[in-house]
Amino acid sequence: MEQLIDTLKSQIITTLNLEDMSIDDIDTDAPLFGEDGLGLDSIDILELIVLLERNYGIRLANPAEGKEVFKSIRTLAQYVEKNRKK
Amino acid sequence: MAYVLSTNIVSPLGFTTEDNINALYEGKSSLQSYVGLWHLPETFVASLFSDEQRAEVQRSGYTLFESLCIESAQRALTDTDFDISAPDVLLILSTTKANAPQGLGTTAYRHPGEAAQRIAKALGITTHPIVVCNACISGVNAQILAERMLRTSEYRYAIIIGADVQSDFIVSGFQSLKSVSTRPCRPFDIERNGLNLGECAATIILTTAQPCSWSIESGAIRNDAIHITNPSPQGEGCLQAINAALTPEQRVTLSCINVHGTATMYNDQMESKAMQRAGLGEIPAFGIKGYYGHTMGAAGVLESIITLQAVERGKIPATRGYAERGVSGKIHISGSEQTISGHSFLKVISGFGGCNAAVYYTKQDSDIRPGCNPHVPKFHTARRIKLSSQEGKTLTALYRETSANYPKYYKMDGLSKLAFIAAEMLGADFDAVALFNRTSSIASDLKHAQLIANKSEFYPSPSVFIYTLPNITTGEIAIRHAMHGETSFYILPTKDMQTMLQIITATLIDPSITRLLTGWVDYQDETHWEADMFLAEKE
Repeated sequence: MEQLIDTLKSQIITTLNLEDMSIDDIDTDAPLFGEDGLGLDSIDILELIVLLERNYGIRLANPAEGKEVFKSIRTLAQYVEKNRKK
Repeated sequence: MAYVLSTNIVSPLGFTTEDNINALYEGKSSLQSYVGLWHLPETFVASLFSDEQRAEVQRSGYTLFESLCIESAQRALTDTDFDISAPDVLLILSTTKANAPQGLGTTAYRHPGEAAQRIAKALGITTHPIVVCNACISGVNAQILAERMLRTSEYRYAIIIGADVQSDFIVSGFQSLKSVSTRPCRPFDIERNGLNLGECAATIILTTAQPCSWSIESGAIRNDAIHITNPSPQGEGCLQAINAALTPEQRVTLSCINVHGTATMYNDQMESKAMQRAGLGEIPAFGIKGYYGHTMGAAGVLESIITLQAVERGKIPATRGYAERGVSGKIHISGSEQTISGHSFLKVISGFGGCNAAVYYTKQDSDIRPGCNPHVPKFHTARRIKLSSQEGKTLTALYRETSANYPKYYKMDGLSKLAFIAAEMLGADFDAVALFNRTSSIASDLKHAQLIANKSEFYPSPSVFIYTLPNITTGEIAIRHAMHGETSFYILPTKDMQTMLQIITATLIDPSITRLLTGWVDYQDETHWEADMFLAEKE
């Protein structure tokens, strides 16, 4: 699990061009969206949906379903572990 | 003010204005479901020309896009008798993608300005053409620009062509943004779940040389300045555009409003709020995406022509796809034809990059008014900055020389980064943005095309696709500076200072503008880019 969490963090940094950030800067339990956490926005969430499909074979057709999944890195990792096809 | 001399619509529903308006009253729609078209993995609904229609307009030596533009303009010109080769005839092309992706990445590819030159030549036009590339509002932006330029320059005729052709490039991009419906779209309806794309070419010829019954009186463009794709939930920019376009006297004359009504959750909700806040919630309103889909660069032109014809006939077509209200703002939409009275209308439209536009049309009842009073704004260059890849610095190095601490910078494409840096360096306040280039969003276009080339590794990126609209650059600057004024993006065949100055002068006619951030910003790749931007201060 810890390894998947680090992998996801580094994939997110690369995919979303979070310049000057390392995996240690991302709090596993902090919210991904909104002011308090990473401050990602709606285009970022769509980009994360592509990331899930490309790297883990997970298809999330409706962005609204992603609300729970993309709460934090931990919820995302749990979801990936349960649903990954590759 | 500029008179409407002639119009044409070339769409899958017909090749004349008359055929198109009649098709709408008959309830015909060109929306169809496509499974596996262009090897796209997802089914989609769109309004596309049939193979027979394509063959009918296709000209040898021209792309389909160019052929459609020529076809529509020639049909609009049929009953006119002015000299098209005269120096007072201007061509304005409204498009988001022009020829892309046809020929993209090869030496045969023709940028939008080059396409405009070929169209101008085929029509016999001898002056320098202008391309308006301002996302979905391009068609209304083009009308506003034409009306202003007829007032501020030597031109007396403006031929405005709005056109876009669909492709896997565009459809896959909108699918990656999760905004395409797999069903016929349902504007303002409770069950709406996205837009349909469409293709069309439509032409409006404006003039100040001879009186005609209909005229464009005024128009305005405003930016939400909150997000590059999501509109202001309160319809702020749309409201501001409406308020700037209409005088209190004009407001009470409205017969109807033609809305954008894309059938995405955000757009329709936003428009309903804007209508309510503008006090226009009781005015009969309608949208025609249920017949044609979203025709992008053609939309503003197509929809203005249809509305003019509808007002002329005293009845507006049903908003096809609408059954049960699904927006919270007050807006007078109907799933049936509505009878209207009066002879004036408002066309509103909104687009990615946070831009919104509104244009007001009216019919002269009796006396034709004398020619408009020419008022030509004057300006001087307050500050100017030139940046070029030839100086050997990278964009990120230049960014670090500015004092900006703006993490979003790293998410932008090269074109937006370049314009962002230049705007930071110019530093001063401005209340509108109008930028120009030659190669549109070529770097992002190539990147998106590459991402969709391999259908077995098919992962179009929403954040790449969004930058295939060059005007996103102006949206990024608007957001950064919380600037809610006009934003526009123009493409020219070359870095032609004279045409740029004409457009800048025309833009400054908006009374709210005192300082315009403007100039050239062109980005082809990491080693080929140039910015020559300045602040034009109105005197």
